[in-house]
Amino acid sequence: MTDVLIQNARLMDPSSQRDSLGDCLIRDGRILELSDQPNTIKAPKGAEVINANGHVLTPGIIDMRVQSCHPGAAHRETPKSLAAAAIKSGITSIICLPNTYPVLDDPEMLISQCRMMNGLASPNKDLRVYSYGAATVGLKGEAMAELGLLAEAGAVGFTDAIHSVANSLTMRRVLSYASMLGRPVIQHAEDPMLAENGEMHEGEHSTRLGLRGIPDAAEAIIISRDLSLLRLTGGHYHVAHIATAKGIALIRAAKAEGLKVTCDTAPPYALLNDIAVRDYDTRFRLSPPLRSEADRQAVLEGLADGTIDAMASDHSPQDRDVKSLPFGLAETGYSGLETLLSMTLSLWHGGYLPLMRVFALLSHNPSQILHLDGGKMAVGSTADLTLIDLDRGWQVRGADFASLSVSTPFEGAPTQGVVLGTWIGGKRVYDAATAHQTANGTR
Amino acid sequence: MGNQNRQDNGLAQADDQLGFAALPDKHLLGIEGLQRPVVEAILNRANSFADLPPRESLSHLKGVTVFTIFFENSTRTKVSFDLAARKMGASVVNVPVATSSIKKGESLIDTAVTLNAMHPDILVMRHQNSGASLLLSNYVDAAVINAGDGRHEHPTQALLDALTIRRRLGHIEGLNIAICGDIANSRVARSNIHLLSILGANIRLISPTTLLPQDITEMGVSVYHDMAEGLNGSDIVMLLRLQQERMQGAETPSQREYFHRYGLTREKLALAKPEALIMHPGPMNRGVEISSELADDVERSLITTQVEIGVAVRMACLESLAAGVLGRQKP
Repeated sequence: MTDVLIQNARLMDPSSQRDSLGDCLIRDGRILELSDQPNTIKAPKGAEVINANGHVLTPGIIDMRVQSCHPGAAHRETPKSLAAAAIKSGITSIICLPNTYPVLDDPEMLISQCRMMNGLASPNKDLRVYSYGAATVGLKGEAMAELGLLAEAGAVGFTDAIHSVANSLTMRRVLSYASMLGRPVIQHAEDPMLAENGEMHEGEHSTRLGLRGIPDAAEAIIISRDLSLLRLTGGHYHVAHIATAKGIALIRAAKAEGLKVTCDTAPPYALLNDIAVRDYDTRFRLSPPLRSEADRQAVLEGLADGTIDAMASDHSPQDRDVKSLPFGLAETGYSGLETLLSMTLSLWHGGYLPLMRVFALLSHNPSQILHLDGGKMAVGSTADLTLIDLDRGWQVRGADFASLSVSTPFEGAPTQGVVLGTWIGGKRVYDAATAHQTANGTR
Repeated sequence: MGNQNRQDNGLAQADDQLGFAALPDKHLLGIEGLQRPVVEAILNRANSFADLPPRESLSHLKGVTVFTIFFENSTRTKVSFDLAARKMGASVVNVPVATSSIKKGESLIDTAVTLNAMHPDILVMRHQNSGASLLLSNYVDAAVINAGDGRHEHPTQALLDALTIRRRLGHIEGLNIAICGDIANSRVARSNIHLLSILGANIRLISPTTLLPQDITEMGVSVYHDMAEGLNGSDIVMLLRLQQERMQGAETPSQREYFHRYGLTREKLALAKPEALIMHPGPMNRGVEISSELADDVERSLITTQVEIGVAVRMACLESLAAGVLGRQKP
């Protein structure tokens, strides 16, 4: 493999807090040398030299919540479209939810899913694909899945995906068994009885719109119960797409207490609130629902003070048919990969988060939560990197997505932050310049 | 003969005052957001239609095609729209839902596109999902009248309720109007809260806590859980049907308990103002929200008048929207 020298880049590594203008030399898929002075590393013979023009080079994004739709739902997303969407967005690793058809509650299924995802993504569109194993058989929330075998097959954690494990006894066993295996349990925290048939956040707007409400307590109840169980079992508990002030307060207190608890959220919960639903636009039908403005403010606080550890895309592709229905009949979900970076960057542009914190949320912290390779830029570490123009503006248009799923709550939004290049294991898998040329060439 | 002339003059005057397009939007999807002059204009126009002799037919909407499509069962609203359109001289097509290819699960948008190809001027739709009429309006050229969408709005019901009150009491401003019952599941309640607030009434809701939606007081109403307190000083007692088909599980302990606490009886009505009137959008559950005896008391109950006024209100709404649609079609 040819050496790659990226010169004159703003090196930003959240694991070491490095933020300096310098060079990065990649050899055999790993970082060989870093320099904090630009144009000081000498290019080895035959190396590919890239002038970054001062743009940010940072560890590739590790997206810890993706619905792959593979196997079983190729009309919503294929491994190829998913990989194309990810790498053009600076994402080098994805972690897939087990709610596929069939469900990833069997070790053989999990192994073949990861293999198929990698193989089908075409040789030029590499992506590191990991999977969570199901917490319970068939994601039904009753019998514990084969967690040990799933872990050996590569499951990086256990979750019932878009369902809460509602049965307290089952959840206790899953937490306990997973703690023995050293893997986190990821919970979609929503009391299923309280949220039954719910269409949006419960409050003034659901009342005005005549839509069935999902109270914020639905999240808090599950988190509160799970924390009580965690005190019995020990282990690592992770709340996915946290979105309410009450839920965040519980996590903050649990961390202070010393429990091993982490959580992530997704850009819509930091940037949008329930008022967005006012025209019954199904692009805003998400799970969990867009919450109140006070909840959104709490998400921003949680991101800033470290209560919220990670930002995930929560990529949940849906086809047009299931979004072209009356609000209550439409499916929840949105195409999240291609807005993850720029929407998280908007929190820096808006002054809510330091830039280093943005990259910690997107790469380093997910790698720590799930014990993954990647998420750092240090001598000897894997060269999963992305080069970003922080300021270049663009407008979100679902129709332009590489993903097959075009429904986005950010449709039409002006935003900033464009990926110029993505490297996985030292191999360049995305180049904005050639991607642009290709696009022009085919016109 | 003299009476007939008076009617004609009334209509002519209304035409002069209003033109045909009193509604600001192409569609009538809800009351929320309407301005008071618009509401008054529609009520004035409907009032003149209400004065027409029962057998009088008009030709204002000659050549206009009205489709009605009801995804939820309805008797009075459907018949009322049908009759109103015919009385105005329009052609009416009642699109069958239960017996046709349009069945539950089929896309509303596909249905809309199909119907649109037949070029209706006005589409009247009722649907079980909130927001369905707004969705429909995005896919058709016709003007859409929302005849009830889920728990959201039922604008013509509110307009007919307002006109019924106005014709009986002469005004709405300052009246104390109690809306009792299943507020959470009621589109009639939402439309009436908006409309009667626009017209200056004081609205009080009387309901058990489990049938009140979250943050309802943000809509400018006062809330009572004790029926006696809520009825005290009320001019109008508007009852709602227990919407059992839109309820999830048991939102009240039993019908017996509901009638005991929230059913309107002569004894409870005595707590309201002495001349207080009773309204109900129908269909009634006798013995659940109202005693049978009160429902039939012509002195106190406006229930049949509501049905009668409904036709006039829908005539005015159809006329107003037709004017908009036809006006737009001019080169």
